[in-house]
Amino acid sequence: MNEIALIFRALLRNKVGAILISLQIALTLTIMVNAVFMMQERHAQMQRPSGLDEANLFYLSNTIFATDYNQEVALRDDLELLRNTPGVVDAIQINAIPLSGGGWSMGLQTEPGENQSSAGVAVYMVDDHAIHTLGLELLSGENFAETDIQWRESGTTRWPAKTIVTQAMAKELYPDDWQSALGKTVYISQTQPIQIIGIVRALQAPWNGWNGVERSMLVPYQMETSNSRYMIRTEPGRRDELMPIIEKALAQSNKGRIIRGLRTMEETRERSYRGHNAVNKILTTVVFTLTLITGFGIVGLAMFSINRRTKQIGTRRALGASRSQIMGYFLIENLMITTLGVVIGSAGAIGLNIWLVNTFTLSPINPVLVVIGIACIYLVGLLAVLYPARKAANISPAIATRTA
Amino acid sequence: MLSMTNISKVFQTDEIQTHALRDFSLQVNEGDFVSVTGPSGSGKTTFLNIAGLLETFTSGSFLLDDINVSGLNDKQRSRFRNEKIGFIFQSFNLIPDLNLFDNVDVPLRYLGLKGKERKERIEHHLDMVGLASRMKHLPSQLSGGQQQRVAIARALATHPRFLLADEPTGNLDTHMAQSVMSLLEDINTKGTTIIMVTHDNELAKRASRKIQIKDGRVSELDKVIDHDIDVSPQAIA
Ligand SMILES: Nc1ncnc2c1ncn2[C@@H]1O[C@H](COP(=O)(O)OP(=O)(O)OP(=O)(O)O)[C@@H](O)[C@H]1O
Ligand SMILES: [Mg+2]
Repeated sequence: MNEIALIFRALLRNKVGAILISLQIALTLTIMVNAVFMMQERHAQMQRPSGLDEANLFYLSNTIFATDYNQEVALRDDLELLRNTPGVVDAIQINAIPLSGGGWSMGLQTEPGENQSSAGVAVYMVDDHAIHTLGLELLSGENFAETDIQWRESGTTRWPAKTIVTQAMAKELYPDDWQSALGKTVYISQTQPIQIIGIVRALQAPWNGWNGVERSMLVPYQMETSNSRYMIRTEPGRRDELMPIIEKALAQSNKGRIIRGLRTMEETRERSYRGHNAVNKILTTVVFTLTLITGFGIVGLAMFSINRRTKQIGTRRALGASRSQIMGYFLIENLMITTLGVVIGSAGAIGLNIWLVNTFTLSPINPVLVVIGIACIYLVGLLAVLYPARKAANISPAIATRTA
Repeated sequence: MLSMTNISKVFQTDEIQTHALRDFSLQVNEGDFVSVTGPSGSGKTTFLNIAGLLETFTSGSFLLDDINVSGLNDKQRSRFRNEKIGFIFQSFNLIPDLNLFDNVDVPLRYLGLKGKERKERIEHHLDMVGLASRMKHLPSQLSGGQQQRVAIARALATHPRFLLADEPTGNLDTHMAQSVMSLLEDINTKGTTIIMVTHDNELAKRASRKIQIKDGRVSELDKVIDHDIDVSPQAIA
């Protein structure tokens, strides 16, 4: 194409429309890139493993109303019933459910005392069956022994002597060498010593929006509580079949309580990320709509300028331009407009991201995303101008003599 | 040079067929200056458009420069127009967004000439029409006569063998028309074949060959006296 200089100079004489479309392209690129970035962030959050064998886990609430209810005995009976039900892999009592939104948290610190800094951690009160029930992977150290399990009376402020923490928590406490956490005594409730006897790969906290969601600890407690939860792991594929069976068996085994609130871990995850999914859908719609509007804007501007230039196109044809040269004219003109938009838009996208990073402590954008965004914009521009350019190419050269 | 035999052109719109040219035959030789007159709607522009490969015809045969043009595809026709034909239009048809220099440059770029050669040709031809000093002006900053002279410079810059003009003086006053006509005569004496459609009998008379189109058919005014029109004695002489 040896017409580029002329196309550019002619474009400079019709700046307004071109600049407006460029700005629209810039805005689209800015929003597109940042929206996709935010979607990716959400998606990445949703992809984080909870550490659980989610597909085969469900839980239920055990609400006690009887006054003559021996909780310690009843819990032992319930767990025995659950663990002996065919198809059940293992079961525990637990104080909180990962990703459910509700749970306990404490602070752990490497030095005792009120003025020492501590790291927040989600607390799961469980017995020695927890690793097996939840499907956790023990990276180092050991599980609780049966004798470690203590009966926790409600309201106590005392903590057991041992804990198992997640790798993320170990890293938080010992950033230089997480493995060195094993065997260390740390402090809970500022002054109570507790020894790390094991480290598991992952176990998410109940709160997915917390930036410490990977930091959790297991403590060997069985709890006195009128409203406890049992987490049950089944053999693969048997969860749905066993849920009603177990509900019924528990209800029948002890009439002093109500069994309710059965829910799978999968549903819990789905509920937990419902907001994420909704926002991603909205962002997708926004990006899609905006891109579409920009595409139509390009089509509109091109159609307008082609209608305005019908005679001049006919004249160019008469002077020797072939159809493909006319088509090329409009493709190149569009490329110039898009390029201006892309330059402004890239600056806008990065600028907006810097602002987002500073304001909402997001992580900075991946430059690859900007490049992909630019490629998308060029593609949209090309597709949008294709039809008008073809129309221009089909203008008869006879127009040159037939119009006043 | 230009040879049309039994050309007919039918415009087919939804229900009406318009026979713009019927059995149209004409030979134009190298170096001719042909003026074309005729009533409005008689087919003059249609003839010129076909001659200039701006339009196709319905039947007949047409050789231009010994080439059977009905066999050419769009690219070849465009190339032919670019290399061998210059157009001058009634309403000048300069590109309003480009200055005079760039306007003359347009067909030269299609020709694929190098920058230096293009610059030389543009300056030479603008100089020839007396507008070299206004190269950077936009068409809208010129008078009609000046615009038409730029259009002539643009048509000639490609060194065409044919110059086709459809009422080149139609939008100009008598004085301007005279100067454009003189320019065309000048060009013709240097060897360019010219076919010019005009409504102005005085100008038509100055051509070396005068034809009239009536109802899509051609008649040679030098040879045939058409009783329907008022032919002045000079025209026959
Ligand atoms: N695109 C078209 N579609 C249909 N009919 C057309 C078209 N172009 C021209 N015609 C018809 O063809 C006939 C010849 O038109 P043409 O433009 O060649 O006449 P003309 O001699 O140039 O007239 P004028 O002196 O007014 O310019 C007219 O009847 C016109 O209406
Ligand atoms: Mg006409």
